[in-house]
Amino acid sequence: MSHHRPPKLPRRIFEGLAGKANIDDLIGDLDELFYLHLQTMSPRKAKALYWKQVLSLSLSYAVRKRKRDARYGGYSASSFSIDMMRNYLKVALRNLYQYKYFSILNAFGLAIGMSVSLLLISIYSYVGTYDNFHQHKKNIYTVISHQQDGVEELDYATAPQALAEKIKTEYSGAQEVLRITKGYDNQVVTDKENIPVKAYYVEPEFFSVFSFEMVQGIASALAEPNNIILTQSTAMKLFNSHDVIGNIITFEGGVTMQVAGLMKDHPMNSHLNFEMLISHSSIPHSQILTEDRWTNYPKQYVYILLRETTSSERLQQYLNKVALQTYAQSPVKVTFALQPLKEIATGGDLLQAIGIKWEMSGFLMFAVFAALILLPACFNYTNISIARALRRAKEIGLRKTMGGAKSQIFLQFITETVIITLLSLLGSLLIFVLIRSEFQRMMVAGSSLDLSINWQMLTMFTAFAVVTGLIAGIFPALHFARLTPIQALKSKLNTRGASFSFRKILTVFQFALSFGFILALVVFGRQYQYSMNFNFGFEKKNTLDVELQDVDPSLFKNAYAGLTSVQSLSMSSGLLGVNTSRTWVYTTEEDSIEAAQLFVDSNYIRNFGLTLLAGNNFPDDGTQRERYIIVNEEFLKAYKISQPREALGRIFTIDGQDLEVIGVLKNFHYEPLMYPIGKFFFRMKKGEFIYANLRVASHDTYRLFTQLEDVWKQLPTQKKFVARYFEDELNEAYQTYQVLLKIVAFLGLLAITISLLGMLGMVVYTTENKTKEVSVRKVLGASAANISLLLSKDYLKMMGWAMLFAIPLTAFLLDLLLTEIQYYRVQLSVWDILLSSFILLTLGVVTITSQTYKTATRNPAEMLRME
Amino acid sequence: MAIPSVALIHNTIKPMKIYLGEFEELVLLTIAALGKEAYGVSIQKDIEERCNRTISIGALHSTITRLEEKGFLKSWVGGATKERGGRSKRFYEITNAGNRAVAETKSLRDELWSLSKLKLAIK
Repeated sequence: MSHHRPPKLPRRIFEGLAGKANIDDLIGDLDELFYLHLQTMSPRKAKALYWKQVLSLSLSYAVRKRKRDARYGGYSASSFSIDMMRNYLKVALRNLYQYKYFSILNAFGLAIGMSVSLLLISIYSYVGTYDNFHQHKKNIYTVISHQQDGVEELDYATAPQALAEKIKTEYSGAQEVLRITKGYDNQVVTDKENIPVKAYYVEPEFFSVFSFEMVQGIASALAEPNNIILTQSTAMKLFNSHDVIGNIITFEGGVTMQVAGLMKDHPMNSHLNFEMLISHSSIPHSQILTEDRWTNYPKQYVYILLRETTSSERLQQYLNKVALQTYAQSPVKVTFALQPLKEIATGGDLLQAIGIKWEMSGFLMFAVFAALILLPACFNYTNISIARALRRAKEIGLRKTMGGAKSQIFLQFITETVIITLLSLLGSLLIFVLIRSEFQRMMVAGSSLDLSINWQMLTMFTAFAVVTGLIAGIFPALHFARLTPIQALKSKLNTRGASFSFRKILTVFQFALSFGFILALVVFGRQYQYSMNFNFGFEKKNTLDVELQDVDPSLFKNAYAGLTSVQSLSMSSGLLGVNTSRTWVYTTEEDSIEAAQLFVDSNYIRNFGLTLLAGNNFPDDGTQRERYIIVNEEFLKAYKISQPREALGRIFTIDGQDLEVIGVLKNFHYEPLMYPIGKFFFRMKKGEFIYANLRVASHDTYRLFTQLEDVWKQLPTQKKFVARYFEDELNEAYQTYQVLLKIVAFLGLLAITISLLGMLGMVVYTTENKTKEVSVRKVLGASAANISLLLSKDYLKMMGWAMLFAIPLTAFLLDLLLTEIQYYRVQLSVWDILLSSFILLTLGVVTITSQTYKTATRNPAEMLRME
Repeated sequence: MAIPSVALIHNTIKPMKIYLGEFEELVLLTIAALGKEAYGVSIQKDIEERCNRTISIGALHSTITRLEEKGFLKSWVGGATKERGGRSKRFYEITNAGNRAVAETKSLRDELWSLSKLKLAIK
C-alpha cells in the first residue's frame, strides 16, 4: 500500500459545500478511486484527478439533491409556508409583549435612531423629483462653461448669450434656444415699502421649452419690452389680487413695466426659482455688456431644447468647435458642456447657479451623521438581544430538536426585529413631523422642499425600517440560529468570550460619540458667547445705522443733529465688522498693497470711540477735495514703519490721488471675526456715504423709531426710512453659530439618549441576572453601596475608556473646525473637557444607579425566595 | 417522492412508454449485472471496462440519483472498508419498477429490430 493519502483540501471544500447533506459514501468513492489510480499513475496525477472529481461531484445533481433533502429536519413540512410565517408572527408578538420593558426600550431607541435618517430619505427623495414635471425633460439641456484665466480655473453654470445667438443662427439640431438673464436686485416699489422680487429676463420661448402653466395672457407678450408675467403668489403679494393684467409695476430706479400675464406658481421642485418673468428686451442697460461678451457673462444662462432626432453628442461636438474658434486669440479660454435638465439641481458644484442647487457633499455629510445616530441604535438592539439569549435558549433548543432548521430560527428572529423596527417607525414618524419644519427653516434652500408625507414616502420609510430591522437583527438571528440544541437546552450558553469584547468596544464607541457631542456643544456655546461679547475695538452699543438712500448727507445731518435722542452722528460708506471695500495703495518706492478702506466723515472716529495713537482726526470741514487718510497699525507694519509718529505726513497714491497720512489708529476689528485684522485706512470723501451712524440714547425703540421716521418724512425723498441697530446686524452675521448650536444640540441629545438607553438595557439585564449573587452577598454583610459599585463597575470603566479616547480626538477635530469657522476664537480649555466629562458621567451614573440601587436595597430574603 | 411517477404509469389508461436515456439504461443494467456489489466505484469501473469509455463520477452519481428519484433504484448504506478510509458505501439495487422499465425498453427495441431491414450480423 502506498503512503500517499488523498489530498485534504478538496475534501474539506467538498464537505463545506455539501453542508448538512450526507456525502460520506461519495467521499468514500473518491478515496477508493484515488487508491485505485495510484496503482496506475503518478501520485500527482492521481491528486489532480481527485480535484477534478470533487469539482464534478460538487456541481452534480446528486449533491444538489442531497443538499435539498437535508435542509429540513424530519418533521419540517417544507421550506416556506404561510402557516409557519403566521407562527413566527405570533411568537414574535408574544415575546415582545412578555418582555415589555425591553421591547419599549428597544423601540424607543430605534425610533430616535431612525428619525434623522427619515429626514435624509425624505429630502433625498424629494430632491430626486426636481424638474420632473417638464414635458420635454429628456431633451432639455443647459450649457455650462469652464473658464481658464491664467492659473485660475472656474466652473460656471452660466454661458454667454452670444453663444445662444450663434447656436440659433448656425445650428439646426436645436428646436429652441432660450436665453435667460437673472435679475440682479429687482425691487418693486409700493407705497409701504420696497419689495425685493426674484426676476428672470426671458424670451417667449420660455414657455415652449419648459412646462409652466399660464393662467391669463399669452407668452408672446414677452417678446415686447417692459412686459411682465407674474406668478399667482407674487400677484397676491404685490396687489393682493389675481386680477392684475394691465397693472403697472414700478421698480426701484423709476422703471415702470406692465403686467401682461399671470401664471401658476412654479412647482416647488423646480431648479428655476422665480417670482416674475420680464421680457428679455427690457434688461437694464447696466446689465448689458457690449464688450467681452464671450468672456464676461454673469447671470446669463442658455437652455436648449434638442430635436428628438438630434443627439446631445452632436451638439457637444459643435460647442467644442465654437469654443475652439472663438477663443483661439483670447487670453481667457472657455469650454462649454451640456448639462441635462435632471442634473441641474443635483449636479456638481458650479458657480452662479440660476436657482436652487443641492450639493452632494452636503448629502454625504448628512448621511454620515444619520448613520452615526442610526447605527448605535441598531447596535443597542443587537447587544441587548444577544445578551438576553439565555432567556430564549430553551425555546430555540426545543425548536431545533423538533426539526427547526437554521434558516427557520433565523427567519423567526428577523421577523421579531422587523416588527420592532416597524413599531419604531411610528415613533420615528412622530419625531420626523416634529423636527421637520425647524430643520427646513435652518436649511438654506429649505423653503424649496416639500416634506409632507405621501404614499411614496411612506413606502420608502417602510422599506427603510425593514432594512434597519435586517441590520439590527442579523447578528442576533445568526447567533441564535447557530446554537446547538444540546447547549441551548442545558442553558450552558457562552455569552461571554469574543463577542463580549466586541460589544465593549462598541459601547465605548457610543459613549465616545456622546462625549464628542457634549464637548462640541460646550465649546460652540462658548464661542458664540465670545463672539457676541467680543471687544471689537469700537463702540457698538446703541448704534443705529440709517440708510441714506438718496438723501443728501448734509441735509440729513442738519435734520437729525438737533434731536435730543441722537447723541452724536457720523457718516460712512459701510458698516464696521460687517462689510468694507478694498482698494490698492501705491507708493513711489515699494510694491503696491491691497488694503481695506472705508469712507467716513470727521465725526466718525469720535462717534465710534476709536483710539488715535498719533496725529489728528480729519479736519471738520469736508468740502474741499480729498487730501488725507487715517491708517491702522497693520497698515504701518506693511510699510515697516515702527513708530506711529513716523507715518504722519507720508504720501500714498490711492485711486490715482496722492493722500497724506494725518493720523494712526489703534487696531480694531473692521471685518467680521472670521478674518484677521489687516491693512486698513479711513478716507474722507463726500458722495461715498451710504449710512448715517446715529448714537442713540433712548431705550424706547418704538418711540425712537417713530420720532426718527417723522423727521425722515420731512426730508426731500420718496424712499422709506430704513434703519437697523448695529448689534442686530452683528447678531445676524453670527447666525451660523445659532444654527450650528441647534444642530449639535439636537444630534447630541439623540446620541446621548440612545447610548443611555443602551446602557439602561444592559444594566437592567445584568442586575436581573445577578439577583441571587447580590442576595447572598447581602446576607453575608455587603452594604448597599458595595453592591451598587459592584454592579456599576463595568459600566463606569467603559465610560472612562470612552472619554479617554474621545478627548484627544474631539479636541483635535473641534480645533480644526473652529479655525475653519473663525480667525478669532476661543481656545479649548481643560474646563470645557471637565464640564463635558461631568455632564456625561452624571447622566451615566444616574442611569446606572437608578437600576443598581433598587437591587442593592431590596430585602435579600425576598429576592432569594423568588429564585 | 418517488412513488407518484410509478403510480402514474399504472393509473393512466394508456401509459406513456417509459423513456430511459442511453446512459440511464446502461447504469440500470450494470447495477442489475453487479447484483449485491453495485456501489459507486464498482459501477463506474464496470462501465468503463465494458464500454471502454471514461465516465465522470459526477455524471454517474447524478444519473443514479435521478433513477432513484424515479423509483427504479433503491439503496442502502453499508460496508466500510479500509481502502475507503473507513467510509461507508452506498449500495444500489434495481427495483421492480426499474426491472419493468428496462424490460419495456428492451421490448421496444426488439420490436423495432424485428421490423427493421437491418442485418443483425456484424461484419
